[in-house]
Amino acid sequence: MNIWLKSVILSLALLAFGAARLPYEAGLSHELRNARLLPPHLEINTLDKIGQTSSAITLGGLRTLVATFLNLRAYTAFAEHRWPDLAKTFNLIVDLAPHTRYYWETGSWHLAYNAAGYYLHDSDLPPLRRRELWRSYILQGHAFLERAIRNNPDDWKLLSSLGFLLTDSNKIPAFHDTNACYAAAAEAYLKSAATGRTSGFEARARLYSLARVKGKEAESLALARSLYAAGPQNRTPTLVMLLLVLEAHENPSLDVAQRAIQLFKTPQKAYSSLSGHWQRTRDGFPVYGVSAGLLSLENSLGISKEKSVLTKPLPPPPSIDDWFHN
Amino acid sequence: MSATQPTPRGSHCGRTLVIATHTFTQLARMKVFYFLAIFAVIIIASNFLDWQQLQGPEAAGANALASIKSSSFGTMHLFSVVLSIVATALLLPKDVEDRTLYTILAKPVPRLDYLAGKLLGVLLLVFVSLALMDVLMTVVLQIRTSMIMEQQTELAQAAGYTPDAIASLRAETMANGPNASLQGAVLAVFLRSSIIASLALLISTFSTSTLFTTVISSLVYFIGHFQADARDFYLRIGQAGQGGFSRAVSLLVSLVLPDFQLFNVIDAVIEGQAMPMLILGKLALIAIYYALFFTLASWFIFSDKEF
Repeated sequence: MNIWLKSVILSLALLAFGAARLPYEAGLSHELRNARLLPPHLEINTLDKIGQTSSAITLGGLRTLVATFLNLRAYTAFAEHRWPDLAKTFNLIVDLAPHTRYYWETGSWHLAYNAAGYYLHDSDLPPLRRRELWRSYILQGHAFLERAIRNNPDDWKLLSSLGFLLTDSNKIPAFHDTNACYAAAAEAYLKSAATGRTSGFEARARLYSLARVKGKEAESLALARSLYAAGPQNRTPTLVMLLLVLEAHENPSLDVAQRAIQLFKTPQKAYSSLSGHWQRTRDGFPVYGVSAGLLSLENSLGISKEKSVLTKPLPPPPSIDDWFHN
Repeated sequence: MSATQPTPRGSHCGRTLVIATHTFTQLARMKVFYFLAIFAVIIIASNFLDWQQLQGPEAAGANALASIKSSSFGTMHLFSVVLSIVATALLLPKDVEDRTLYTILAKPVPRLDYLAGKLLGVLLLVFVSLALMDVLMTVVLQIRTSMIMEQQTELAQAAGYTPDAIASLRAETMANGPNASLQGAVLAVFLRSSIIASLALLISTFSTSTLFTTVISSLVYFIGHFQADARDFYLRIGQAGQGGFSRAVSLLVSLVLPDFQLFNVIDAVIEGQAMPMLILGKLALIAIYYALFFTLASWFIFSDKEF
């Protein structure tokens, strides 16, 4: 057969074969994307940042391998305190492997904790500049975690990490609205616990966050009661104390000392627990009825005014001004 | 030559298998399996790409399993693609050079059987290599997963995790260890290789040199990862009711090139996602479709080629 005729027949067959498979491939591709088995398309910007060789490897179907090696690069940036490089590298890594929890968690942790901590303590920069960078890296770590959750909405650990960051007393001054932070943390912990794969801490942590949201006392009390009733594994000192203070908020005439003795078994333990809670100023927990309870217990236990926890100076609440004081 | 050939005896399958076995032996003698030693070094080295940067039972060893899988699959991927292209590109020129081709074609062997046998030989080699690498990866992964689970359980117990939470943690770690989806992903690597090998066979039937076949096949493989983008562009432009040159070009790319992006499901499996059997079946179907078409097209070109 003539070579030209053969070429024409082959070309037509190739096109016909292509036309026959096109709808099938389009449907399968759509199905795989919906099932999150195919990663989203890479932005041109991402490819530019990775570099030509890595882009070629990435486009050739080796995304996770490139992510693994970029993780090495990120570690070096961390070790050398090159924080902008670290942020850039982790952004690339998660573009390549958007469903690997480890990268999201490590990236947000480096940004919100290590980079922010570096500017809090180790930098020679002027205080105002340090303060600005400290805040900026906490917000970057927070944004990174929120992006992680948008990509992996069912991941309990990422939700839990977000809740942890938003309730960290060393980080919360970086956010403008503390109340909104606690509310967002409670929401994150709720979603995390709802996955049914958590250790039990997330359900209690939801209460710890919700109890600090102004106007949510009734909801918090209901939650505290249900957790307390769920079993002894939930009866941590913080949870029991929150149950007490929320009951005191609901019923201002409650005999806090008596209720504390009932919850903590002995007057001594009740006094010790109430004292500890009174001094946790950094955490911002509610203290409804705590001073009245302490006074009552001090009277019954014969604790003098000089030894009273109420007369001792309280630890100062977290303050950016103190941290970045010259 | 074909006009004077006597009627072939025996079955197509029998002849194809004989040629496939011979091709496999021929390629194995080229010391291809030495590559497994390099693979073993890579997989052992990837074990050390683990320095725990996060605290907590969940973070213990989390990066190690991902490193082992991504390094193993990266190596399998590169090896299978390179082997598929280069080995297939070598087949016809080597048989011509050794004059084996003349001996075979002088016998009552249909050319389709010859081509199918050659392709099957390459695929058998790729399959055996991938199977051996899979065994190595699975063994290392199994050992490491057990070690990590032990470590995580200890940490979780110390942190006061409930038995349910520990069971959930173990299940999460197991999902990142050796499992059926991972074996499915290895099969997907093989399916992708079978497409590229059959394509290289087609190119080699009209190419003038091994180098030409290798370069063109590699290019097609690389551009094949953009086929899905061209197809999406064509379909989207079509919906928008626009037309023109760009639409024609994107359609042409969609029709002519294979869609290799479909096989990137492997990345999702490396990240711990489960791959349903149905998806694997659909990928296998499309790979068979490509392999059959390219083999028949190769035969169409090769059927009356003079040597």
